[in-house]
Amino acid sequence: MRIVTRLRGVHPSVAIAVNALTRNRLQTGLTLLGIAVGVATVLTMLAVGAGAQRSIEQQVRAAGLNQITVTAGNWKPKVDDTGAAVAHQADARRLLAAPRPRRVLLPQVVDDIVLASHPEDDPMEKHDHPLAWQRLGDLEAGLGAAATLTFADAEAIRRLDGVQYVACGVHANARVFHDDKRWFTRMHGTDRQLLDIKRTWTLKHGRFFSDGEQDDAEQVMVLGQVVAEKLFGAIDPVGQTITLWKQPFRIVGVVTSASWVVRPAPGDDEFDAVYMPYTTTHRLLNLSKLNDITVTAASTGEVSALSKRIAALLRQRHGITDTQPDDFTIATQATRAITTGGLPPNVAAAIAGNVRELERVTLEQLAGTLERASRTMRWLLAAVAAVSLLVGGIGIMNITLLSVTERTREIGLRLAVGARARDVMRQFLIEATAISLAGGIVGIVAGIVTSLTISSTLQWATVVTPGAVLIAFGVAAAVGVFFGWYPARRAASLDPIAALRYE
Amino acid sequence: MIAVRDLEKEYHVGDHVIHALRGITLDIAAREFVTVVGPSGSGKSTFMHILGCLDRPTRGHYLLDSRDVSNLPADELARVRNETIGFVFQGFNLLARASALENVELPLLYTRGGALRAAERRDRARRALAIVGLSDREEHHPNQLSGGQQQRVAIARALVNHPKLLLADEPTGNLDTDTSHEVMEVFARLRDAHGLTLLVITHERDIAAWGTRTIDFKDGRVNLDREGERVAAPTTCAS
Ligand SMILES: Nc1ncnc2c1ncn2[C@@H]1O[C@H](COP(=O)(O)OP(=O)(O)OP(=O)(O)O)[C@@H](O)[C@H]1O
Ligand SMILES: [Mg+2]
Repeated sequence: MRIVTRLRGVHPSVAIAVNALTRNRLQTGLTLLGIAVGVATVLTMLAVGAGAQRSIEQQVRAAGLNQITVTAGNWKPKVDDTGAAVAHQADARRLLAAPRPRRVLLPQVVDDIVLASHPEDDPMEKHDHPLAWQRLGDLEAGLGAAATLTFADAEAIRRLDGVQYVACGVHANARVFHDDKRWFTRMHGTDRQLLDIKRTWTLKHGRFFSDGEQDDAEQVMVLGQVVAEKLFGAIDPVGQTITLWKQPFRIVGVVTSASWVVRPAPGDDEFDAVYMPYTTTHRLLNLSKLNDITVTAASTGEVSALSKRIAALLRQRHGITDTQPDDFTIATQATRAITTGGLPPNVAAAIAGNVRELERVTLEQLAGTLERASRTMRWLLAAVAAVSLLVGGIGIMNITLLSVTERTREIGLRLAVGARARDVMRQFLIEATAISLAGGIVGIVAGIVTSLTISSTLQWATVVTPGAVLIAFGVAAAVGVFFGWYPARRAASLDPIAALRYE
Repeated sequence: MIAVRDLEKEYHVGDHVIHALRGITLDIAAREFVTVVGPSGSGKSTFMHILGCLDRPTRGHYLLDSRDVSNLPADELARVRNETIGFVFQGFNLLARASALENVELPLLYTRGGALRAAERRDRARRALAIVGLSDREEHHPNQLSGGQQQRVAIARALVNHPKLLLADEPTGNLDTDTSHEVMEVFARLRDAHGLTLLVITHERDIAAWGTRTIDFKDGRVNLDREGERVAAPTTCAS
C-alpha cells in the first residue's frame, strides 16, 4: 500500500490508521468536516472571548487606567480627624499660617473649602504671563494653575522605576485662525510622548511633531480632528498655516480617535484642541512652569505604588516638610472614577487612599459592559460548537464501528499473530483520533480565518492566542478518544477465532 | 514439544452442549511433521486452535515446551502466539491493501517490547520471503499473486518471528493439486532446514501422506495415530 510505504518513518499504528481511513474516503471526509466545523467554532469562540478581553483592556488603558496626572497646586479636599472635608491648599495654608505683610490678596473661601488664588493674581509671584498675553494680544486666553511644577520635575519623574512615558503639559484656551475662519478651542503645549500615552489616538493625516521640532521650539501644530474639520473641512490641512496669538504655525498632522468608544466631539478637549511642543509654548509665552505632567505606568497594577513614589519625589524636590501638605495634586483614573462617582468626598478619599490596587476595581467595572456583550456571542458559538462536535463525534463513532466491522477478519489475524487486546484497542483509538485531529487542524485554520473575517467585517475584536489553538486541538483529540472508545473496545474484545471466521 | 492430556472442549449453544473434543491425550516431539485428517466436524480445527493458543480447553492440560499454557491470561497467550507459533489459514488471510513484504512484517509489529524498527522489520520480512522463494514478489499486492504464491506469503508471515511450531488449517484447501504439493514441499523443507514442528490439517489423503505422522480424528477423539516415514512421493501424484 502506497500510503503505508510513504509513512514508513512513523509509528506503524499511525500508518495503519491513516491507511484504513483512506478506505472510506467520503465518510472520513464528511466526518472530518463535522469535526472541523466544531473545532473552528470553538476557536472562534475563544478568539471572540480573548478579543473582548483585549479590547476591554485597551479601552481601559485608553481610559487612562495606567495614567497618572500630576497637576500643579493642591485643590483636593482632604478628610480631617473629625471626618469633615476640609481644604488643604498648599499655597493657602502657607499664606494663612504665615502671611507675609506684602501679600495683599487672600484666598477665596467657599464654604469650608479654601481655593487658591490664581498665581497671576498674586503680584509677588514671579509671573511673566500677563505680559506675554499682552504682547500676544490675546486676552481671552489664560493659564490656570499654581506654578509649582517644572520641566526638571518632569525629568526627575522620567527617571523613576515603573514609568513608561512622561508628557509635560501647558494648557490654555486659544483662538485659532485660518483665512477668514476662526475657532475657539483648547491649546495644549505638550510633549512628543503624548502620542504614546494616548493609546486610542491615531493620526488621520501627517505626523506628530518630532523630537527636533520640540527641542528647537518650532512653531508646528497638530490639530485635533474637530479643529481640522472646522477650519479646513474635508481637506488634508498638513502643510497649511494656522494662526494663533498672531503667530503662524505650520500644521504637521491631524489626530483622531481610533476607539469606537470615544468619538471626536466639539468641546471634548482632546480632538477639539490643537497641540504644539510645550517648548514652543514656553518660548512664545515666556513661561518656565508646567500646568501638569502626565505619566503612564508601565504596568496597570503599578499605578498606586508609582503615584506614591512620584509624590515622595516631588515633596523632596519641592522641599516640603512632613507637616506640610503637597503643593501638587496627583490623580489617577481610578481615584478620578471614584471621586466623580457620586460618593461623598470623604468616603471617596478614604477609599482612594486605602484600597490598594484600586485601579483593578474600576477595571472590573469597565470590563463588565463589554464582557456582557461578548458573552451573548460566545454562548451562541458554544452552542454551535457543541452541536457540530456532537455530530462530528457521532460520525467518528459510526465510521470507526464501520471500520471495525469491515476489518473483523483483519483483527482476527492480528490477534492470531500476537496482537494483544490493548494493541487492537490502541489501533482503533488512533484511527478515531486521526480523523478528529485532521478535522482539528482543518478547523483551526478555518477558525483563524473566521476570526479574522469577524474582525474585519463586524469590527469585533478577535484574538487567536496560542493557548486557544491548543485548547481547540485538545478538544478535537478529546472528541476522537471519547467517541472512538466504544468501537475500539468492541474491536479489542473480539474473539480471535470468531473474528477469523467472520464473513 | 507438545504434551496434551485429557483435553476436552465444549461449546454451549443455547441449551445444547456440543462436545467438540472428548478427551485427547497425545505427545508431539520437536521436528515432527504431523498431518491431521478426519471427517468434517470431528474437532480438528478446535484442536488446532487450542494448540495455537487461540482458544483454551474446557478441561485437561496442554503443555507447550513443558509449560502449561491451558489457562494463561489473554495477553500471555498473545505473546506465546507471537513468539512460538506460526499460523497458516485456508483462506490465506492476507491484508489486501498491503504489499507482500508488509503482510509478512505484520507479526513484528506485536513483538515483546513494542514493534521492531522499520528497517529490521523489513530485513526480516525479506529473509522470510526468500525462504518461501518469493524474493521477486516483495512489492506485489495479494491480488497480483497466484493462490499458491499468496499461501507462500502467508507461510513467510508465519515464519517471520522464528516460531517453533507451525500450524496450518487446510492450507491447501483453496489450491489445485500441483500448487498444493508445492506448498507441502515448502513445509517439508522448513522442517528439514529450520527444525520446525509442523501440524497440518487436510482432507486429502495424498497431502496427508507428506507427514511423518498422521492423526485421524473422529467425533472429538483420536481414531488412528500412524507413524512412519513419508508415504507418498511428492511430485508423482498429479503429473
Ligand atoms: N464456536 C463454536 N460454537 C459452537 N460449536 C462449535 C464452534 N466451533 C466448532 N463447533 C463445533 O465443534 C465441532 C468441531 O468443529 P471443528 O471446526 O473443530 O471441526 P473440523 O474437524 O475442523 O471440521 P472441518 O473439517 O469441517 O473443518 C463441530 O460440531 C462444530 O459444530
Ligand atoms: Mg476445520
